[in-house]
Amino acid sequence: MNDTLAMILAGGVGSRLNILSYWRAKPAVPFGGIYRIIDFTLSNAANSGIENVAVLTQYKPLSIMRHIGTGEPWDLVGRTRGVKILPPSQGRKDSDWYQGTADAIRQNIDYINNYDSPHVLVLSGDHIYQMDYRKIINYHKEKKADVTIAMLVIHDLEEAKGFGIAITDAEMKIIDWEEKPQQPRNNLASMGVYVFKKEFLLQALKEVRGDDFGKHIIPYCLADKEVRLYAYPFDGYWRDVGTLRAFWAANMDLLDKKSGLDLDNWQIMTSLQEANQIADSPPTYIGPGAEVKDSIISPGCEIHGTVLRSILSPGVYVGKDSRILNSVIMHDSMIGDNCLLNEVIADKSITIESNCQIGVGPGKNVNQKFPDHVNTGLVIIGKLARVPAGTTIGRNCIIFPNIEASVYPGKFIEDGETIMARDSIEKGGLLFT
Amino acid sequence: MNILAMILAGGRVDELSVLTLNRPKSAVPYGGVYRIIDFALSNLMHSGIDLVGILSQYRSSSLIHHVGTGASWDFIGRKRGAFILPPSKGTISSDWYRGTADAIYQNLDFIDTYQPDRVLILSGDHIYKMNYGDLIRFHEAHNADLSISFVQRPEAEASRFGLARFDVSADDQGGPLVGYDEKPEKPVSNWASMTIYLFNTAVLREVLHLCIDKNMAHFGRDIIPRLIGNYRVFGYKFKGIWGYTQTLDEYWSANMALLKSEPEIDLKKWQVRTNLANGNIRDRIPSHFDSQAKIENSLIYNGCKVSGQVTNSVIFPGVVVDADAEVKDSIVFYDSVIEKGATLTKVIADVGARIGPNVQIGIGAADRPNVRYPDLLKSGITIIGRDTEIPASVQISKNCIVAPSLKATQFNKNVYHTGEYIE
Repeated sequence: MNDTLAMILAGGVGSRLNILSYWRAKPAVPFGGIYRIIDFTLSNAANSGIENVAVLTQYKPLSIMRHIGTGEPWDLVGRTRGVKILPPSQGRKDSDWYQGTADAIRQNIDYINNYDSPHVLVLSGDHIYQMDYRKIINYHKEKKADVTIAMLVIHDLEEAKGFGIAITDAEMKIIDWEEKPQQPRNNLASMGVYVFKKEFLLQALKEVRGDDFGKHIIPYCLADKEVRLYAYPFDGYWRDVGTLRAFWAANMDLLDKKSGLDLDNWQIMTSLQEANQIADSPPTYIGPGAEVKDSIISPGCEIHGTVLRSILSPGVYVGKDSRILNSVIMHDSMIGDNCLLNEVIADKSITIESNCQIGVGPGKNVNQKFPDHVNTGLVIIGKLARVPAGTTIGRNCIIFPNIEASVYPGKFIEDGETIMARDSIEKGGLLFT
Repeated sequence: MNILAMILAGGRVDELSVLTLNRPKSAVPYGGVYRIIDFALSNLMHSGIDLVGILSQYRSSSLIHHVGTGASWDFIGRKRGAFILPPSKGTISSDWYRGTADAIYQNLDFIDTYQPDRVLILSGDHIYKMNYGDLIRFHEAHNADLSISFVQRPEAEASRFGLARFDVSADDQGGPLVGYDEKPEKPVSNWASMTIYLFNTAVLREVLHLCIDKNMAHFGRDIIPRLIGNYRVFGYKFKGIWGYTQTLDEYWSANMALLKSEPEIDLKKWQVRTNLANGNIRDRIPSHFDSQAKIENSLIYNGCKVSGQVTNSVIFPGVVVDADAEVKDSIVFYDSVIEKGATLTKVIADVGARIGPNVQIGIGAADRPNVRYPDLLKSGITIIGRDTEIPASVQISKNCIVAPSLKATQFNKNVYHTGEYIE
């Protein structure tokens, strides 16, 4: 399908993912064992036959750039196919950082004009969903729309509160819009997926001063009755994994056949060529006495203990008599003997020495430093961090990236505590200012 | 120094029975995700040799798919490359490769294109980790014309190999050869040829021209014994593990040997690479274990779905083990399905086999060898050919071979006794 150009917004900071996005942009956060979040959007585009994809980066783009590479894993290579990374660049003003979603597209009008495609599909690289974009594009053409917005059909109105909500007429033309309403008037929530008629997009970006699709472009469309702004209802699996709880739950959805997230029927592709990726991984070895149930296991692991309701990325080691429960453990992490992990999200290359208990306790406190991020019992362990032997860690705790054993105040870390070094904030400064 | 590698990958190895019916030995799956040729290719990659010709003859298509562009082993770039070299018609109307030396001889024009200083001739059939750089340094230090790599094997099986007789001056590293005997009835030493030959290109060319005219087509049988005394022929002593899997028993054991925390053949340490695009391995999702799954002491890669029980087994991508099914001491190739209640004991199931509900394979005693391969299949292994469908509740005893591509309707009885060949 070369009549539609896809633009993926992949610059988001994703600050609520806390230390998971300390090293990388949110779309590059690992997901589901071998994937990164952006693989879902990229694969949706590739599976929908879209031939040209641009990925707009801004915040910590290195992992995304390395991950996308030539685009070959998504078959976005060839005479007419391609994927381009579009970072901010200096323009007429001194510093032209992307000011918002619409501004990011506005700064890349040159790129859009390079192609003859009459339609532009604007996507976000932050969401876990499986969607055939051909359907919304065909709908957009049938409606002769200027703009079509994919709207998730929400079954429990309570959940609609955090979204942009569309109010439509019988023809699905959007006649009103509410941004994060207290009492939603409709159950159609914006998924951040827009199909634009190219001419209309260019005109709107020129005439609107604001920088955001939701806040500025949609009101511009609504202001003019002649503008054909349509809602496309989508009643499938879609998750904004913007919070740690949502990120964890979406991982767990992979273990639930009824969740609607089904990797068997809509292929998600990923790059296997990055460092530490599965291209170099041997098969997983599951040892005598091990138990693995209700779990997803990537290649290159070695399991001697018990793994229940968990997701393991490539290269994870689980020692004897250890129990991993309800957890997401990322690449090359090492868990020693006789440990218990419950509801833990562990980033890459962490080391948990033997005889540790993590995620145990009544969970009486939310995280004291980041009460908005970690408050449902999860324990988050940052990349390359180490937990010294015999440590007990309560719930709602955060262990910062790179933490060494010497930083721990003792063998008992209570509910809601955060382990960080003097320079942790400094190093993660960008994220927490 | 400019080195070109040539991998002899065309041999069928009849002893592996139905496993090599549709593929050469080098393309036989091994270790949960690999093909045997991956070991030679990965050794080349790690040794920094990045120009390789792969000589295939028997059923080349699986090799052609597997090697692909060569990018998996980094053989891609302006001066790098992996090329499949099948036999082609030449001045004689049919120029099938008549032997190892003839295969190289017929590709001298390929070698000449690159004008290498040395040609490293390998076999694609062996499982081992070797830095060819060590052999090359040995070769140069001795100013050799030909260096051959040898490994120590137990006396009892030495007569299966080409054997070196070292000069008294040979040390721990190796030394000049005073003799070479191809598969002698009485072993002359326990240093067995790994069929790894490093030739000075000029010598190789000269020797091949001389020998091929006299119908001497094999390096081991015809050529090497005649070179000793006339050229500087050296033997290099390799100290690592060398997996030789020319029989079904050896093949099965070499897989089972991987089922340890730190096996001798350490796939992780060896950094063996394979082509994940072959068979769409890379597009498969991580393996899923459901709430009834029970898996112990086994290897498993991506794309499997396990609900039943798997013990002491090697499971390739895409295998499904349904609830109440039991797989024990077995090797199950890509995309085979073991349905509800089926049991497999000491079975090698080839790609795409479908084992129906409540089928039992590998039961009974191994008291009779296989009728078709009495010498090769007597230790109790049962082989299921590629894409064969075994209907519900069939019982198959030990030492049986089930031919490839059988349909469920082609099974006319419910019980197959020890040693049958089912076709």
